[in-house]
Order: sequence, then structure tokens, then C-alpha cells
Amino acid sequence: MAETRALARSDMTLLDMRGISKSYPGVQALQDADFSVRRGEIHGLVGKNGAGKSTLMGVLMGIRAADSGTIAIEGETLHHASPQIMIDAGISYVPQHINLLNTLTVAENILVGNLPKNRFGLVDWQAVNDDSQARLSRLGLKLDVRQPVEGLSVAERTMLAIAKALFNDARLIILDEPTAALSRVDIDLLFGFVRAQQEQGVAFIYISHHLEEVFEICDRVTVMRDGQIVGTRAISEINVADLIHMMVGGGVKEYGRESAAGHEVVFEVQDLSRRGAYEHVSFVLRRGEVIGISGLQGSGADELAQGLFGLERMGVGEVTIAGEVYRPGSPKSAFEAGVAYLPQDRHRYGLVQLRSVRENVTYSVLDRLVGRLGVLMRQDEQAITEEYIDKLGIVTPGPEQRTLLLSGGNQQKVVFAKLAATQPAVLILHEPSQGVDVQAKVDIFNIINDLSRQGVAIMIISSEVRELIGLCDRILVMYEGRITNEFSRAADDMLPEDILLAIEGGPGDADA
Amino acid sequence: MQTPNRHDLLEILTRHFIWVVLVFTVVVFGLTIKGYLGLANIANILITGSVLGVMVIGQSLCLMARKLDLSAEGTVSLVAVVAAWLMLPYRETDLAQAGGLGVELDPLIVIPLILALGALIGFVNGFMIMKLNMNFFIVTLAMQLVLRGLALAISEGAIMPGTPAAFNWLGGGRIAGIPVSVIATIGLYLVFGFVMSRMQFGRKVYAVGANEDAARASGFSPARTVILVYTASGFLAALAGWMLLGRLETSVPNLGIGLTLNVVAAAVIGGVSLKGGEGSIIGAFAGVLFLAMVNNALNLMNVDPLWVNAVRGLIILVALIIDAQKTRYAGRAGPSAPTRTVVGDADQNAAVS
Repeated sequence: MAETRALARSDMTLLDMRGISKSYPGVQALQDADFSVRRGEIHGLVGKNGAGKSTLMGVLMGIRAADSGTIAIEGETLHHASPQIMIDAGISYVPQHINLLNTLTVAENILVGNLPKNRFGLVDWQAVNDDSQARLSRLGLKLDVRQPVEGLSVAERTMLAIAKALFNDARLIILDEPTAALSRVDIDLLFGFVRAQQEQGVAFIYISHHLEEVFEICDRVTVMRDGQIVGTRAISEINVADLIHMMVGGGVKEYGRESAAGHEVVFEVQDLSRRGAYEHVSFVLRRGEVIGISGLQGSGADELAQGLFGLERMGVGEVTIAGEVYRPGSPKSAFEAGVAYLPQDRHRYGLVQLRSVRENVTYSVLDRLVGRLGVLMRQDEQAITEEYIDKLGIVTPGPEQRTLLLSGGNQQKVVFAKLAATQPAVLILHEPSQGVDVQAKVDIFNIINDLSRQGVAIMIISSEVRELIGLCDRILVMYEGRITNEFSRAADDMLPEDILLAIEGGPGDADA
Repeated sequence: MQTPNRHDLLEILTRHFIWVVLVFTVVVFGLTIKGYLGLANIANILITGSVLGVMVIGQSLCLMARKLDLSAEGTVSLVAVVAAWLMLPYRETDLAQAGGLGVELDPLIVIPLILALGALIGFVNGFMIMKLNMNFFIVTLAMQLVLRGLALAISEGAIMPGTPAAFNWLGGGRIAGIPVSVIATIGLYLVFGFVMSRMQFGRKVYAVGANEDAARASGFSPARTVILVYTASGFLAALAGWMLLGRLETSVPNLGIGLTLNVVAAAVIGGVSLKGGEGSIIGAFAGVLFLAMVNNALNLMNVDPLWVNAVRGLIILVALIIDAQKTRYAGRAGPSAPTRTVVGDADQNAAVS
């Protein structure tokens, strides 16, 4: 026993990834990343959305091919990577949303594809249940194997998924946000189980936005930012503030803008709630003001944006635009009331990719371009399109180019043009800089700046805290459906570390 | 703005491929088949092409909206039976011939009635698909069955000969020697070509067909657009039924059977994509001409009727191959498409575990 323990805690490297790079057109998703995990270690992997964690894990799981770099497991370099090779090498992934056969029993899930048969060739259910019960007890997991999986709690399902990986001889298990939907009691249960497996020499990669939990369970932690590994630290040698500092970085030139905020309140949200999405949300937006809203996935920020534009139900509460009651039943009524929305998912909600720049830019204002009998006025249409191609610097061979063929940044500008053409009073931007290159980012920030100077009240929902600090007059933080913190340029308290801490659910300030 | 590069040329070529094929076909058939380009044969091609042509307009609208209307051929047979039933005098059914209901309505009343019936059928299709969230394929397939069944029930499975001359004018009449059906069909192509390229409705149909979510987020109502598309498709199918009955002067209960595949084929050959949001009415017109010419040529060449379907099927498959390649090419040309996979967080890997 002492021997296994010594082995489990040894410094022997289990996984060694070296110089991993991966680029997509216009984006360097991973740059020369080195990442290693020791045997029997719980290794935290943290970083903001888009930092490169999922790409790195994708390479490790063999579902994304790296452009360069090597992966070695226990000193043996793998020359090809495919999902099957990685599973055979003992690497297993447990996603946030567990994939099990929900209507089947625990026992069937464990032995699926390999159910014991009796001499008549029929499934021997006694053996199925006994065998799976025995396997679970060996891992110290107490579950009724006759129970359907859909009756299990999320923590039990996660543990069952881990157990299944172990039955397949997994040596390294990737846990992706395992605690996102767990209560404290369940977290303790899960952590107890994970530690017990660690004692047996199993290593874990623990991906989480919840930093306290990283400190609670991990031995070491690796921070990623902008596709690069910032560093790896033993958990005993680092504190939360330093970790956050590594995540946000510093010393990079920020985008700064002059505030154009007026006094007149344009948009007022009062006590807005939608079950399961957000609760008691209240804020005001002034003419020319830019506010940022940031929160983790599931904090309610995304739902709030879609609700305010009528893409989803808005919920209960009162919203007014320039004093008039606003209740969008559809995007159409939102546009008519002067609210425009830039969707996070450009390909799904933003662009009609098969159609031309001209058509996309004018979709939102077609009603104004209609002459007699519903005929579109081609010259006006052309004029608007050319005006915005020019104003926003859209790089395209011409207005008739299909938007499919434009770069990400130019596609985003086309969506901006569509919104700006409606001359909105309130503009809701959802991750406006996502998936665009650096130059296009600056262009988009300039567009936001111009619009705010024209008096448009702008609300940006984004997880890019540094960008928000450069752009916004105020930043609101949402956590678990509520606005928990407010930072403002006026109060001079927009510090990335504080904001990120608030986003992770750290100590909120009482007055917000 | 700039000189078109290789990609643009390739795209232009795939987009207007049908016209190249059409010219090629005319030359080949014209040289090899005696009398192919004679006036009588050209008129023949156009007359048989006109019913197909009218239906292709409706089907093209549905395809552009990323839908399909399998019920159109059922509408053709139902309106033909209903029209004959309302116009012809009563007689006992015998020797597989049936008479009308006995009301002997004037064609000028019957024509608007059947057109309205077609539009209503289309509206019901659209309503069920968009408002009741039913699958368009099954809805229109079931509707085809219902309509065909009604046609059989009303006609008792018998033919109804002798529709009045005023009714037959559209299908069989001529103006200055030119068949009315041909003039009407060309007129409809001009009208719908204009509607789809220059009017708000056309713009919305393309947007909804190419990306329903983005169309909604742009302030359109996909439900309203698609219901209108189906209503138009039903109306045009009824018009095609009127035209066909007028040409035959006899209602046959199985009128229009098997037309759907030809109609869809003509539209796809003409560059209307099954994947929605693409194609033009003028292109569909070229597809109709092509199919009508090939059918005519198969007749003139005395191809064994047992082989005709195989040849037609092959042509449709080739058109689908081109359609599929066109979309693949378009997808590859987009430099931006893969970027979305970069930015999301790890849960998109959830499928792999």
C-alpha cells in the first residue's frame, strides 16, 4: 500500500505536451503551448473564454489536429492523434453535460456493449447487476445499479462517468466544469470521490471558472491567455489575486475612449426577472453612455441580452425607452422601438451568409426602402449600402459580394451596418469582438465609439473584461442571475482583478 | 470593381451553368433530330412545358424558402375534378365516364373558385408547418394524399369529358397563332422574376430560406413569409390544373400524377438549391425549357418508353450532383466559417467523451 502511494505521489510525468500550435484563419488559437501533468495529480486549467483551453483539450483528445508540437504519454511520443488513440492511451473526457444513456439503468450503462449472456444467449441480468455492483464498490462508489440513470443527481452522474472512464483504464481524466450545476454538499461528495481515485494514481485535469474550487482540490494550476500558456504554479505557492492577475495579464496597451455619456436616461430596466435566467435586474442607460455587462456562462447576461431584444421572452418587470413602456414581442417590434441587437452567434443570428452585403445591410430597413406596390427602391438601397461600406470600412469587392466570402471582421461590420442603418436609440452588443482579428477589433471599437458620440446608448455583454474597461463608462457584473457589482470609470474602480473576482462570484460589494 | 478572379468566374459559371447546357442541348438535338427546330415542334415543346413551368414557379418559391411542396400535384388533380364537376351537366356514371354535379356553373365563376381553392390549400399547408410546427415534408405529402383521394371520391374514379370552351381558353386557345398557355406562362415568369428580385417579398423569402434565425433577428416574420409562399404555390398549382384541364378538355382523376419529381428536377436543374436561399426564377425557367426539350427529344427519338424514366432519373441525379457540389464549393470558399469553433468554451466538445 505504501508503495502504491509513493508511486501515486511521485513526480513522474504522465502527460507532456510540447510546443503545441494551432491556428484558424485569422486567429492563432494556440501558440507554442507547453503543458504537462504528473501521475496522480489534480491539475487545474484556468483562463477566460477563448483563452485556448478548449482548443488545447481538443488537441489532447485527438479531435483537433495541431499544426505543430508533440504529445508524449509516460515518455512515449504519440505520432498520430485520433480520438481512439487517445482513449487507448488512457485519456478520457468528462464533459460538463454528462452523456449517458439516461433511460437505461446504472448497470446497463456500465456494461453497455458487453453485457454478460447466459447459456441461451440472452442477457443475464443477475450477472449484469452483480458485476457492475462489484465494480462500483471497488471504486468506493455507492449507487443502486438497478436505478435508471435519469434518476441520479448531477454529481452522481459525474461520478458514474468518471467510473466508466476508469473501467476503460483511463489514467488521465479531463473534468470540464464539473461543479457548474452542483450544490456544496454534492461538490464535497464529488471531490471526495475524485481524491479517492487520485490516491490510486489517477490524474485529473480540472477545468473551471470557479477559482475557489481550483484552490480547494488542485495540486497545481496552469493559466492560459490568448492561446498561450502563461504559467504553471503549485497551488501552495499562489493566491487568488496572483492567479487572476495571470489570467487578465497587464501591460498591454488598452483601447481608451472619451466618455460621451449625457444625463438624459434613454433606457431603464426595473426589477426585470425571468425564471431560470435572471432575477431583479435593474439599471439605467443614458444617452451616449456605454455600459458593459459581464458574467460567467449561466450568469444570466446572455439571456438578458436576448430577452431585451425579443428573441426570447423578456420576463416580468418594467422596461422603458425614453419614458415609454417597452415590451418587445419579436425582434421586429424591438427594431421599431429603437433597440438593435448584435448577436453573439454571428453565423446563426447575425448574417444570412448566402446573400450579398447589400441585402444583409438593408434587411433591417426594408420597410423604409419600399416604394409603390412593395417594389424596392434600388438606388436608395445601393446608397445605404455604399454609405455603410464606406463608413465602417467594410472590405469587400463590392456590395454584391456574398457575405459568406468575407473575413470574420468584415462580416461583423456588415452586421453592425445592418443595425446602425436602423438608427437605434439603444444598441445591445453581444460579444462584439468575438472571432475577429486584431485590426478589425480596433475598427469595431471605433465604430462603437462613433455611435456613442452620436448619442446611441450602448450596452455590451462580453467576457472580455479588458476590452470592457477600455470601452465602457460603467461595468455591471452578473452572478447567478443577479447584478452583484457595479464598477465605473467615474469611481475609478474599474480594475481587472476586482472585476474578474466579482465575475467568479467573489465577495460582492454591499451597495450594488 | 476589380477584374474577376478565378473563384468569381467559377461561381458565375456554376450559377449560370444551366444556360450553357441549354445552348448545348439545342445545338445537339437540332443537328441530330430531324424537324426538332421546326415551328410545330417548338410550339409542342412550349405547350407541354407550360403546365410544368407554372408549377415550377410555385415549387421554386418553396425551395428558395428551404421548404418543399409535395401537395402541388394533388392540387392539380383536385381542382381539375372540382372544375369539371361544377361545370358539366349531371349524368349517371357509366363506362368509366362521369357527369357533373348538375349545377353547371359558368366558367367565369368556376375559375376564381378553383384558384381560391388552390390558394386555400397552400395556406393550410403553410399554417400547419409554421404555426403548428409540423414537418413540411410529411404535411405536404399527406396533403397530396388527401387531395388525390378527394379527387377520386368526387369523380368516382371516372373521367369527365367535355369542359366548356371558355374554360379551355387558357390551356388550348391561341392568340395570333401563339398558344395562350405559353403567353401566360412567360408572363408569370416575368411577374415572379420581378417579385423575387426586386420586391420586399422576394428578399424575405431568400433570407428566410438561407437562415431563418438570422431573418427573424433582422426583423422578419418567417412564419408569415413561408405561409405566403405556400399560398402562392397552391394558387399556381391550381392555375396549372386549370391550364392542363383546358388543354385536355377532359378531367382525369389521376391528372398530374408523378409531376412533382419533374417539377423539383426542373427547378434544381435551373439552379434553385434544395438547401434554400438561392437560385432565380429565370434560372428555373431555363430548367423547365431544358426538361421540356429533353422529354420532347426522347419522344422524337422513339426511345423505348420503358427506358424513358431511367433517362429522366439520371438527368435529375446529375442536377443534384451539381447542386451538392455548388454548396460544397461555397462552403469551402468562406474563410470565416471555421473561426466559430475557436471562440466558444469547452462544452462544444461535449459530444466527444
